Amino acid sequence: MQTSKTLTGPPPLESGWLSRVVSSYAVRTLLQALLTIWAVVTFTFFLIRLMPGNPIDVYVGFLMNQSNLTYGEALQQAASQFSFDPNASVFQQYLGYLGDLVRGDLGTSITSTGTQVVDQIARFLPWTLFCVGLGLLISFVLGMTIGMLIAYYRNSVLDTAVSFFASVLGAVPDYIWGLLILVVFGVQLGWFNIGELRGTYDPGLTPGFTPAFIWSVVRHAFLPVLVYVIGTLGSWILNMRSSTTSVLGEDYVNVARARGLTPGRIATTYVGRNAALPLFTLLAVNIGLVIGGSVIIEELFVYKGIGSFLFFSISQRDYTSMQGVFLVIAVSVVVANILADLLYSSLDPRVRIEGER
Amino acid sequence: MTGVTTPQGPVERVPVLEVENISVAYAAARGAVRAVNNVSFTLHKGEALALIGESGSGKTTLALALIRMLVRAAKVTEGRVRYVKNGAAQDVLGLSEREIRRFRWSECAMVFQGAQNAFNPVLRLSEQFSDTARAHGKGDRAWVKRRTLELFKLVRLDPERVYNAYPHELSGGMKQRALLALGVLLDPQVVILDEPTTALDILTQRAIIDVLAEMQDRLGFSIIFISHDLALAAEMADRVATMYAGEIIETGTVDDIFYEPLHPYTLGLLRSVPRLSGSQDLISIPGSPPDLISPPPGCKFHPRCPFASERCRSEAPPLEDFGAGHLAACWHTDRVVEARQGLWSDGAVVTRG
Amino acid sequence: MSTPILEFRRVSRSFGEGRAAVPVLRNVDLSVNELEFLCLVGESGCGKTTTGKILSGLLPPTGGRVLFEGQDVSTLKGEAYGRYRRAVQIVHQDPYASLNPTQSIFDILRYPLLRHGFAKNHKQAHTRASELLELVGLTPTADVIGKYPHQLSGGQRQRVSIARALTTQPKVIVADEAVSMVDVSIRISILKTLMKMRETLGLTIVFITHDLALAKYFAWEGRIAVMYLGRVVEVGATRDVTGRPQHPYTKTLLSAIPEPDPDRTRRKEQLSLRSEDVPSLTELPAGCTFHPRCPFFEPGRCDREEPELEAVPRAESDARVACLPLTEDGTLRPYGG
Ligand SMILES: Nc1ncnc2c1ncn2[C@@H]1O[C@H](COP(=O)(O)OP(=O)(O)OP(=O)(O)O)[C@@H](O)[C@H]1O
Ligand SMILES: Nc1ncnc2c1ncn2[C@@H]1O[C@H](COP(=O)(O)OP(=O)(O)OP(=O)(O)O)[C@@H](O)[C@H]1O
Ligand code: SF4
Ligand SMILES: [Mg+2]
Ligand SMILES: [Mg+2]
Repeated sequence: MQTSKTLTGPPPLESGWLSRVVSSYAVRTLLQALLTIWAVVTFTFFLIRLMPGNPIDVYVGFLMNQSNLTYGEALQQAASQFSFDPNASVFQQYLGYLGDLVRGDLGTSITSTGTQVVDQIARFLPWTLFCVGLGLLISFVLGMTIGMLIAYYRNSVLDTAVSFFASVLGAVPDYIWGLLILVVFGVQLGWFNIGELRGTYDPGLTPGFTPAFIWSVVRHAFLPVLVYVIGTLGSWILNMRSSTTSVLGEDYVNVARARGLTPGRIATTYVGRNAALPLFTLLAVNIGLVIGGSVIIEELFVYKGIGSFLFFSISQRDYTSMQGVFLVIAVSVVVANILADLLYSSLDPRVRIEGER
Repeated sequence: MTGVTTPQGPVERVPVLEVENISVAYAAARGAVRAVNNVSFTLHKGEALALIGESGSGKTTLALALIRMLVRAAKVTEGRVRYVKNGAAQDVLGLSEREIRRFRWSECAMVFQGAQNAFNPVLRLSEQFSDTARAHGKGDRAWVKRRTLELFKLVRLDPERVYNAYPHELSGGMKQRALLALGVLLDPQVVILDEPTTALDILTQRAIIDVLAEMQDRLGFSIIFISHDLALAAEMADRVATMYAGEIIETGTVDDIFYEPLHPYTLGLLRSVPRLSGSQDLISIPGSPPDLISPPPGCKFHPRCPFASERCRSEAPPLEDFGAGHLAACWHTDRVVEARQGLWSDGAVVTRG
Repeated sequence: MSTPILEFRRVSRSFGEGRAAVPVLRNVDLSVNELEFLCLVGESGCGKTTTGKILSGLLPPTGGRVLFEGQDVSTLKGEAYGRYRRAVQIVHQDPYASLNPTQSIFDILRYPLLRHGFAKNHKQAHTRASELLELVGLTPTADVIGKYPHQLSGGQRQRVSIARALTTQPKVIVADEAVSMVDVSIRISILKTLMKMRETLGLTIVFITHDLALAKYFAWEGRIAVMYLGRVVEVGATRDVTGRPQHPYTKTLLSAIPEPDPDRTRRKEQLSLRSEDVPSLTELPAGCTFHPRCPFFEPGRCDREEPELEAVPRAESDARVACLPLTEDGTLRPYGG
């Protein structure tokens, strides 16, 4: 069309390179992500230091009990062991920390001197990601299938029963499910030997792609994954049910039937794909929630992931480790959000990310 | 039936769809909603039949019954639908699930009311054309693509651009035209259009009308066209059937219905439509449509009819032939003939004697 | 002529800020004279509803001035402003969405009556509400007054909307597509009610519709303003605009409308557009915004300067149009011909 710039429209804004850079999607997303992470880091940094007791106090108490030292002796010993100066002002500590962070240095653990926080995280994080990822994946797929199924048979006995069951699942917090499973299957029924399932795999095995190792990993991860599945399944079912119900009423589904498409094609490409779309935005939210929730679940099942590491760090008042874990959680939530966004926009052509004005 | 002369000249009258005595009822809490009652009509090859009538008169229900797309609450309580192709007839209501799936779209395509969301938003148009063809066993990709592009050109869309477009990239009028193209993809004999231009702009509507006329000319399908816009019916239809409370109360050629209506309701409709040319007084039909669960006895129109007599209140008038396929269901057509005198007196050219 | 009761002077309205702003109305001049019947016609999205909302004070303009009885409404304060708002009432398109489903018909009418002091107590409100329902033809009123909107048909609801608009004893009623959602057979009787009220109550009516035939019928004694992409392109007496359309857009529109008369509609001569795509408001064509589609487009002229509403020299019509070739030369030449 021969449309040139409008003569009567409002004058275009001053559009320097800066505004163009800032308005580009990639840059905007990155800036937003960095800002979020910075906010979380700052917030947790000060929050942690507001907790009663500092690592030295905790260790001093420990030494006094254990070795019968006087307070003065214990304090001296503790201070010499920790790379932590209780006399530096909090703000100085903050600036120092940010400086290190920019250089990619998460610092060393306060309580176990010499251990790099990065190493600790690298050791524990994969297990959590594995469990949480697997759990979410299973419950997402299962929830979508069940939700869609009951939407097809809505108002039947099946629908009523499953919906009720799903609301119960969704209403009970996941750590309660964890406790229940522990008590019922582990203690009362004795199906699982909880004591044996400590850690992420049986001690004595060397990690590798051996059947024994993989089997052990699966066995150890089974219960936490089960809890993640149970804890999120209800909401997936209910969301998918309502989303499918509304898509089933859409014109294009009716038209697809009039076009003589096969029921299978309609269920997958016409109903399923459209009904699943809104669930992808929920996925991002859920990843954050579940990683946060892993602290209690992992502690419950003595699963050595990032959650139980955090729990341990908190009890030790290990500031740098705690700080590191919070950073990891923040980053994973932000990354999950970006991924969900990208995924969503690749699935829904109406939401176009690149080149949006 | 014998040949009838329409303004376009003699048309060979080969039936493609014969609807006999069909009735449809919806199950509702208060009782059965008798949305379609004893409707019969025959659609001929290449013909455009308009179903007109006000909201709730059962137009959509009737159309849905023809392709067996009624909702679960609705049941066809009686009647027969015969589809004729190359001299062989099929009983549509007796087809199996599989057969009716094949029947839809390849024999009889239906463009729904408010088709703005007729396309799956996450699939390109090309995919929606090809999956339609595949569902009917016409999987040859090259053929589908060639035919799709050809049809886009026929409906005046830029073939290359639209082929790879997602539905949201098209305007309402473009979507409607793309849908018409999809409608004739498999070369059906019958295309049902339910309010194809409502909610579209006048200029867009004009484009659709022209495109439809051209398509029908080229491809020779028959149209069942549902509307409450009389002007649209006047422009597009060869024959018109007026529906009231689930019944066809008058049917005839478009000229019969517009210039020599025999039923008081048809006359009432004509009198209530403003015209651009001419300036007759507009008169609305008093009252409101009847309750379909417990309709009035006798002629269902009698509570609103200016000519109603004792007989109308007790005895339902049958659909009677008044010559040359002009049928009406009214006890007092003679009074309608009298009353319609002034209808076109304000300068409109009435060519028929 | 006396001062118009409502007047637009170069009124503009956009939605959104800065570069994302969508100019929905641009420099609209329009006057509504006392007791007249003015129709706003145009296609979807051309800004009819926005115009109606600005007229009735529901939406402020982002440029230009709105005058009520000669006074700029943005300078009106307190009681004077209240008087303006009460004097101009709007009836919305959708009778289903515009009535609160949890209020009875009596409640719907009672609240504005009491709030604006047109009734002092419950009893007066009841009497007044019954009068209003009678006026809009909802009789017997005793049957209707206690009902809830869902118990009424679409046509009846629209009558309730009109009754509600009348509670403040307005001078102007802006009826925005007030009958497009009700059936043909009922439409006319509602409009006739509106016409009758215009006479008995001395109302000025601004009637918004996309149906030119309807506009012609009801505004026969009045005027029509044709809008296209946020501007008025032709305004004049109804007889002129529908009988001797001047602007190419009006001409095309009239030629495109099917008529409920088989012979006439088949013989009707069509003006064909050069393009069927409606330009987007965010990328308006330069010059006359109709030029990419106009059958009378003159390259180098129409795409340069945006035309203003002016009279057509030597025309039989008194309408004012926004079309350069027409207002400067008094004639149109088919594109390429
Ligand atoms: N699912 C349903 N359950 C009960 N009654 C229904 C149902 N669908 C439609 N009806 C009723 O059937 C009658 C006919 O409806 P239908 O949609 O066929 O009318 P229509 O002539 O197409 O009207 P419109 O012009 O408004 O589209 C109406 O009275 C309507 O209320
Ligand atoms: N609040 C709003 N925010 C953004 N854009 C708006 C808003 N209100 C209206 N618009 C836009 O302004 C344009 C004109 O809208 P308006 O409702 O005035 O049109 P109209 O002529 O009444 O159309 P219709 O015949 O469809 O009712 C449309 O493109 C619409 O999308
Ligand atoms: S039969 Fe009687 S009531 Fe029915 S339309 Fe004819 S005159 Fe009217
Ligand atoms: Mg319908
Ligand atoms: Mg509007």
